[in-house]
Amino acid sequence: MGLEKFKPSLATHDLIQDLKWSPELRTEFAEQESVVLDRYPLAEDERKAIETRNFLALYDMGLHPYLGGQFARLIFGNEAGKGATVAVNKLVESLQGKGPVA
Amino acid sequence: MAEIVFAAGAPHAPGLIGLLEAAPPDVKDVVATTYRSLAEAIAKAKAEVLIVFANDHLANSRVRAYPDFLIGMAAEHRGPYEWFKPWIGCEDYTVKGAPEIAAALFDGMTKRGIRMFAQNENLKFDDNISVPVLLTNIAGSGIPMIPVLQNCTVPPIPDQCRCYEVGTALGDFIRDDLPADMRVALLGSGGLSHEPGGARYYFIDEEFDRWFLDLVASGDHERLLRELTLEKMEAAGSGGTAELLAWVVVLGAIGSRPGKSFGYTVHKDFKCGVGGVLWDMNANMRQQRAAV
Repeated sequence: MGLEKFKPSLATHDLIQDLKWSPELRTEFAEQESVVLDRYPLAEDERKAIETRNFLALYDMGLHPYLGGQFARLIFGNEAGKGATVAVNKLVESLQGKGPVA
Repeated sequence: MAEIVFAAGAPHAPGLIGLLEAAPPDVKDVVATTYRSLAEAIAKAKAEVLIVFANDHLANSRVRAYPDFLIGMAAEHRGPYEWFKPWIGCEDYTVKGAPEIAAALFDGMTKRGIRMFAQNENLKFDDNISVPVLLTNIAGSGIPMIPVLQNCTVPPIPDQCRCYEVGTALGDFIRDDLPADMRVALLGSGGLSHEPGGARYYFIDEEFDRWFLDLVASGDHERLLRELTLEKMEAAGSGGTAELLAWVVVLGAIGSRPGKSFGYTVHKDFKCGVGGVLWDMNANMRQQRAAV
């Protein structure tokens, strides 16, 4: 699974970039995820994939894998050797066929 | 005529800092030897400015407005960017910038038909700049740096031929536009094989990595441009391995020269093959070939 499904206009790309660039938005996302998601023009299946942590579905919709890896860290943890390892393993589990890993 | 006095390529995997302590001794040895050797070579070269090409990793721009090359023109470069700190596990650093040379680079590349973008504000640095800066002691050395963050992962990606052309223009700029006798160092930051965010996140293509290190150390650029295709790099790790294009820019600038590797190592937790190459800026391949 590489870049062949990449869809540059996918709204989730902006969500991930904004989360990466704003500590305040990350706090809000952790506390009220649905309120944050409401601000982005997400397709119904795209939003559902985010809510269920279905990275496989998001990649099939065209999410860039590099941002997918960062989204996993934004959700599951970003510390070297700790949360980031959990995030990588969750992501791989989803992409290798499990789908939702919430 | 300014002179390129140092040229090298090296990985910037975040684990090289945050996960190094827990790595096996033989892995640590290769990492320590590689970056210590590069740090010594930079210091010995007495460079007046270091230009680092590295994958931007989607750190600075949205997908919808993504530059192929983004020059950092700040007077000071501070990193890493806030969100990347725990991930890399490194200390904060500040490196002196070179705004006037960065502006000249922007002008000079534009004049040569290379579309680059430039930003006066501090760029957001992740492992791309942070790892080589810290492991080769750029911050401590006092050498001014110009980061150039490039698109190695957002299609359409400038391929090996385009990046080599960019490097050729960079070499012309250094030789023809910069002040006479200025000493310039070049670093290509990235690689080796890895697939960040992919289904094969832990995959490292050892065969590709060893082939690549041998090839770039050989000085055979015709073969490099023929064989180091985007397809080959994607097969060796989608979305990550292609950041070796930063090395290709440096190779375009210096032309065909032999290089020296400091070993190669794989460590699963790094999720990336590790090995660097220092090119011999005193070698003259044409004279060597004529002598054979």
